[in-house]
Amino acid sequence: MGRYIIRRLLQAVLTLFLALFLLHYLTTLSIQINGNPAYAFFGAQITPTPAQLQTVSELYHTDHPCLTQPGNPCFGNFFDTMKRYAEGDFGKDLRFRPVTELVAERVPNTLRIFAVSTTVWALAGIGLGMVAAMRREKFMDYFIRLGTIVFGAVPIFLVVLGLKYVAGVWFGGWLRENLGEENALSIIFLPSFDDQHPWLTILVPGVALSVIGAAGIARLMRTSMLENLRADFVRTAKAKGLKPGRVMLAHTLRNSLIPVITLIGLSFGGALGGAVITEGLWNVRGVGQLVFNAVRQNDTPIVIAVVTMLVITFLLFSLLVDLLYAVLDPRIRYE
Amino acid sequence: MSDTTELIRAATAPSSPPPPDKVRSLWSDAFHVLRKRPVVIASTVIIVAMIAIAAFPGLFTSEDPEDCRLERFFGSPSAGHWFGFDQFGCDYWSMTMYGARPSIVVGLVTTVLIVVVGGVLGAIAGYYGGIWDTLVSRVIDVFNAIPFVLGAILILAIWRSAGDTVWPTILALAVFGWPVTARMLRASFIEARGLDYVHAARSLGASDRRLMFRHIFPNAMAPMMSGVPLMIGGLIEAEATLSFLGLGLKPPAVTWGSMISNNVATLISGHPLLLIAPATFLLATTISFALLGDAIRDALDPKLR
Repeated sequence: MGRYIIRRLLQAVLTLFLALFLLHYLTTLSIQINGNPAYAFFGAQITPTPAQLQTVSELYHTDHPCLTQPGNPCFGNFFDTMKRYAEGDFGKDLRFRPVTELVAERVPNTLRIFAVSTTVWALAGIGLGMVAAMRREKFMDYFIRLGTIVFGAVPIFLVVLGLKYVAGVWFGGWLRENLGEENALSIIFLPSFDDQHPWLTILVPGVALSVIGAAGIARLMRTSMLENLRADFVRTAKAKGLKPGRVMLAHTLRNSLIPVITLIGLSFGGALGGAVITEGLWNVRGVGQLVFNAVRQNDTPIVIAVVTMLVITFLLFSLLVDLLYAVLDPRIRYE
Repeated sequence: MSDTTELIRAATAPSSPPPPDKVRSLWSDAFHVLRKRPVVIASTVIIVAMIAIAAFPGLFTSEDPEDCRLERFFGSPSAGHWFGFDQFGCDYWSMTMYGARPSIVVGLVTTVLIVVVGGVLGAIAGYYGGIWDTLVSRVIDVFNAIPFVLGAILILAIWRSAGDTVWPTILALAVFGWPVTARMLRASFIEARGLDYVHAARSLGASDRRLMFRHIFPNAMAPMMSGVPLMIGGLIEAEATLSFLGLGLKPPAVTWGSMISNNVATLISGHPLLLIAPATFLLATTISFALLGDAIRDALDPKLR
């Protein structure tokens, strides 16, 4: 186990380093080809003097001469950037606020929406997959499979918009009229996030975000359950005369959950992208909304910094998932 | 279900030798199963219709989507203008028709790019192994480390000024999309290179290229190809999401994503059709690809059922 952890850690460090370089190279290339992004600071109407441009370029670290040579990978610049990242400096937005500060004040809401959506997709995905596998080739199986295919094909922004109008505006409006504004149900079905009730108002967008992962989990859960239902150890357990409920929970379900764990890491990556849309459309003051607004306002430094932070988070998360998987499935670590 | 028995027959066919004059390949077997299913027929019809609209939008509308007259703003649907007009007085039916092209083109072209790049790299890694495998696997890890949608958002946000073509979107999606295919083909090649028929062909003196293309690839292709319709659907979804965010094609070019984004508020302001029309076309396309893809995957890989 120790050797596996060390190997996986080294691999993660290398991947992180190369991924950061990839992001750096993409950014560098775009500056080399499209010109100094410091112009965005002044807007389209103002032509800055060279001195002004120089000041702003220094602030956003776009004054390096290699940024004018297309194709140059700018290694020196890369190491400077890494040094700043290591010191916790992820740059500033176009209004000179440090990005780390902007992100820090928004992390709690993002954690909230992820807590809700993770709970929902895990429960719904595993539950639906289980039901489908147990009712194989019956109505429920076909219904759940059709449902997961159709829901998996709906773009997240349409899910969020649909919920916003159906649950937030119409149903919520009806509730607010009949139960009063202060009723907990009325608050849950508000069409946008409210800082006064951060948990209640995040339930509905959390459900919307969970749609991304739930369909995939349900499908994998179904296949994995079907495989285990046919396995020898399940037949043995049944033959021993164990109660069907115990065979289902202790023998089949527990073993079927192992492959599902691999999907958690992947779903997390998808959910990070989905959070940008969901938080943006539901006005949740979270990290995703920061990217959403930055994209709309052309605030490229923020997009780069926040995406970089999310990539680091995603890598750490994948590392954890992999280690957890190795703990649960010994075959992985003896590979 | 009758198609279940069909599938079981498809799955067990190779082990019980069929009469020699009626040997069917995996593909024709799959086709025979698929062509009878109503879901497959319906989704194929929708997909063909959408591709036709994307290829020849002029056949489906005589209006110019960029012919906008402010005096017609929010005009109601009428005989010649089925979906009415948007807030700038542009004919909405013709916008919906012309909006199909970016989605379909991005879906198809990106899929081709992903299959070619991912397929070739995955095949090299899986077949040669050793240093090639290590190298390609590390590169896959690096690209996989950046979540698909976030990566595409980043690329399009920094390449915003790249012009009014669909190429930035295609490249952004392909750059972060190929690792999945590469990984899949790598696994198939690793599995196949140790099999007896490959050893047999090698001992008969087959070259690497012949082994790869004539022997392993046809077998490794089925799992990859069965994922293609699903991939197209997913990429259309991603394209719509990006253009909804305002990334990708710039106005006056129309896309379903930007039409939805521009008319989000019309659902409560009394012109719900402006939101519902593009959303319906988009959903019909992505859901058709998903249903067809699922059916094809089942038919080509009966193990999954």
